[in-house]
Amino acid sequence: MAKDPRETRIEDLPGPKSKGELEEMKIPYEEYCRKAFDPGNEWSKPEALKGIRWLSCTMYIFTPHSAANLAELGAEVVKIEIPRMGDAMRHTSPFNEAYLYPLHDTRPMTGTGFGFLGANVNELYLSMDYHIPEMVDAFYRLVKMSDGLTELYRPGTLDRWKMSYRYLQEINPRFIYVWGGGFGYGPKVFGGSYDILGQAHAGFASITGMHEYMGGHCAKHSNWIIDWGSGTLITYGVLAAMHWRRKTGLGTMIEFSQVQTPARFSEYSVPLYGRFGIVRQRWGNWDTQLSVHGIILCGKSDFPDAQNPQDKFDARYVMVSAFNDPDFKELCDITGLKDLYGQYKAHKDRVDAKPQVEIYAALEKWASDKTRSQVVKTLTDAGILAAPVMNDREVYECEHYRERGTIRWLDDPLYGDVLLQSGHSVGLLSKTPRRTNWIWRPVGGDNVKIYRDWLGYPLSKIEEWYNKAYI
Amino acid sequence: MAKEKRDVEINSRADTLPLCGPDVRPWPVTPPPTPEEVMKVYEKRKAGEFGKWCEDNLRFEKGFGKAEALQGFKVLDIGLWRLGHKFASSCLAEAGAEVICIEPPGGDPMRKLTPFGREEYMLADKETGEKCGLGFINEMRNKHSITLDIETEEGREVFKKLAHHADVIVEGHLPGFMDSLGVGYRQLSKINPRLVYCWVGLRGQWGSFKDRVSKHGQWELDPFAQSTNAFVHSTGFPQDMLPRGKGGDPTRSGVWAADYIAGEQAAVNILAALYWRDEFSGEGQFIEVTGAEALFDILDFDIGWYGFNASIKARTGGWDPNLNQYEWNPCKDGYMMIGGQSDRLWYRIGMCIERDYPQFGRLIHEDPFLKEVGARNALHALIKTYTLTTRWLRDINRVEAEEKLMDYEIAAGPVLYFDEVCEFPHFKYRPWVYTLESDYGTLLYATPNNAFQIKTPHRVKWLGRALGKDNNEIYSRWLGMGPTKVDDLKEKGVI
Repeated sequence: MAKDPRETRIEDLPGPKSKGELEEMKIPYEEYCRKAFDPGNEWSKPEALKGIRWLSCTMYIFTPHSAANLAELGAEVVKIEIPRMGDAMRHTSPFNEAYLYPLHDTRPMTGTGFGFLGANVNELYLSMDYHIPEMVDAFYRLVKMSDGLTELYRPGTLDRWKMSYRYLQEINPRFIYVWGGGFGYGPKVFGGSYDILGQAHAGFASITGMHEYMGGHCAKHSNWIIDWGSGTLITYGVLAAMHWRRKTGLGTMIEFSQVQTPARFSEYSVPLYGRFGIVRQRWGNWDTQLSVHGIILCGKSDFPDAQNPQDKFDARYVMVSAFNDPDFKELCDITGLKDLYGQYKAHKDRVDAKPQVEIYAALEKWASDKTRSQVVKTLTDAGILAAPVMNDREVYECEHYRERGTIRWLDDPLYGDVLLQSGHSVGLLSKTPRRTNWIWRPVGGDNVKIYRDWLGYPLSKIEEWYNKAYI
Repeated sequence: MAKEKRDVEINSRADTLPLCGPDVRPWPVTPPPTPEEVMKVYEKRKAGEFGKWCEDNLRFEKGFGKAEALQGFKVLDIGLWRLGHKFASSCLAEAGAEVICIEPPGGDPMRKLTPFGREEYMLADKETGEKCGLGFINEMRNKHSITLDIETEEGREVFKKLAHHADVIVEGHLPGFMDSLGVGYRQLSKINPRLVYCWVGLRGQWGSFKDRVSKHGQWELDPFAQSTNAFVHSTGFPQDMLPRGKGGDPTRSGVWAADYIAGEQAAVNILAALYWRDEFSGEGQFIEVTGAEALFDILDFDIGWYGFNASIKARTGGWDPNLNQYEWNPCKDGYMMIGGQSDRLWYRIGMCIERDYPQFGRLIHEDPFLKEVGARNALHALIKTYTLTTRWLRDINRVEAEEKLMDYEIAAGPVLYFDEVCEFPHFKYRPWVYTLESDYGTLLYATPNNAFQIKTPHRVKWLGRALGKDNNEIYSRWLGMGPTKVDDLKEKGVI
């Protein structure tokens, strides 16, 4: 308030305070959002996790992703790898096709495969052989100047080398320590784990794919969803622990098992079994709780003359949704399936299993002489929700993702043009946006920077370690 | 164990319902291994002392005696139909934040969703008798429920007052809905500049392919996000393996996977934004997370691969196109998953199979092409390896295959169905599924991944909440509105 209560000041009045603010309140909402998130200008804004330093003693996708999330949000992450060999994921690539060179300066003819893409962005690359007693000192020095680490070794491995939480908390009580693996304490403690093991063991496989009466088998989620998804949940646990540390000054240890993730992601499946003993089964491309809400096959491809078989044969699927009564009526009208509407007016009737089989069969019959885009257009014009099942090319070419900056090209400092799909895509933040600076570097690419500039080892020592393959 | 033998006549599904349930058939059916038995497992690898230290410090059961990481943060969750915003707020609530779910007086339509429309699988609240679907109950973790119609003038005023107190708002309404009512981020950030406001949806609240609504007002829900991001296209069996229309089609995830992935990334972004607010700036911000885009993050390298050489990823059923071996294949009584890519593990799988099936060694291990790690990822190499692996599997069942592979320390396991998941010894021992006495009776639920911690384990305190159960408490504590005022607003249909 102004000193003189009779004085009226604009800042005391409700509503916009300046012409700029007035404009901001007046512009259409979409434009407001576009301006707030401003894709492409991420680097003119601050980073949320500035100053956090994290050690990533990881391999594969699951645990690396937990650290990459932090790096995208602005933390300084050090990826520690096996000398000259690196993360096992560097040696994988789809059908052995896509590699970027070199892997390491002693191995110019070996590359890093695209299996490694997206899991370790923005990180600094250090190599270190933990087995060597001489290196333990370097490791401790790093721990003292870091906020935490993620590791994935067999339970007890780092403990044997006095590098587990119970030792590290002595030298850095603020340290947040994450073990990420398959099982954790318990009868299967030493069980190795992969994404696919999680999908198989914890129920995802059993509820994904066509039912055997439809002719199908359990289908694998094509991508390593349990690796990526669990990695993100670790990041979540780390950030929550960091908030608690702000209050108390104390770190924690998180023992994180990825095999349990699918059970957590399985909607009503666990309570349904617990209460009624009912075991959820696969239900293909339809939805157990909503009808119509599923993917149908159309008779003709959108691109019959395309070279790529994925375009030529598979551009035939449409996601159709009309579960509310008026939508279902509209759908039955437009497809000429009025009998179906008469039979299944209430959602409760049409969502049961047999009616679903009947309805989707009728819809596919209707679509059997149409292309995918004809079906989408007919339904969309009628005001019903429908969308093509898109492939990688169509996603790449989709204007929507481009204007939002979620699919974009990066001029990587070492590898040149790389098409990015992650990082920028997992959330737009108006003031501290995520960003991708580089995809990766060769094994040990930042050794000198870290061993000399951070930890104070002389260059001669670093060279000696390098020649002995300690680093 | 059954105490007595009974004759039961089953004529319909209804007759089966009283035969199950926690009172008749408590979980677990067989007890998990004892800690003493598990100690022997640790000892086998000389990790006895460390194993004991883990059990003493990390055990799930000790969680309730420890602090909560996000205690003191206040979160409003407002949205309908979808799981994305619900999973985000579940994460926050499991870590100790106070989460208030705001529903319209009629309730979130998701409360009414139940598999195949079967009301007998909905549960009644003990006090109100109101029935609720299991999916909604399961995601209503540690959350309070209040009702408020923000489409009324008075409702909006109440909502703005609530927003004054909130650190976070997680929103899951249609694009621009809140803004058009004058209670979006644009307006609320003027009232509460410290507010972190996160919208969670399918493809966006802006852009040429943003979230749509049908002519009659029906929302787009997942798997639309999965379909429009290439996930569905490359999941499922190819037509070379199964006939098209009979299993050889692009396949959606059995669950609303895009919602879960968007939800967890929303929770991450929210905590990062809170950290920046509390550590540096004192300012809140606006966040948008969508299912289709968050799912790009889990698409491995697929879009990047298109950028590399215009490859469009195809479907490979239960196989992984990048790794050999890394797949499940049919066996006598189901499916068996086997994994091992490095030379060390790959040859061990072969040694195991060779014991029963010597040709495997000759045809696979002696093939010069397959000796190179990279080369054996080629498609024809996968076909050859898995054809012969399945030849071995088809004569044995899951347990036999697992035992044989475990002898060679292979990461292998059967595809389990949910009854088997809930009864799996390791699941019961941790526990990864656990029971809780809720307002809807005893429930079995999946525990949070972050529940195994020394200092601040995440936890589930209650599951499910009757609609508007916390109206009096929250309105009085947050806004000082007494029961008379609440009843008054109730009568007007605002609450």
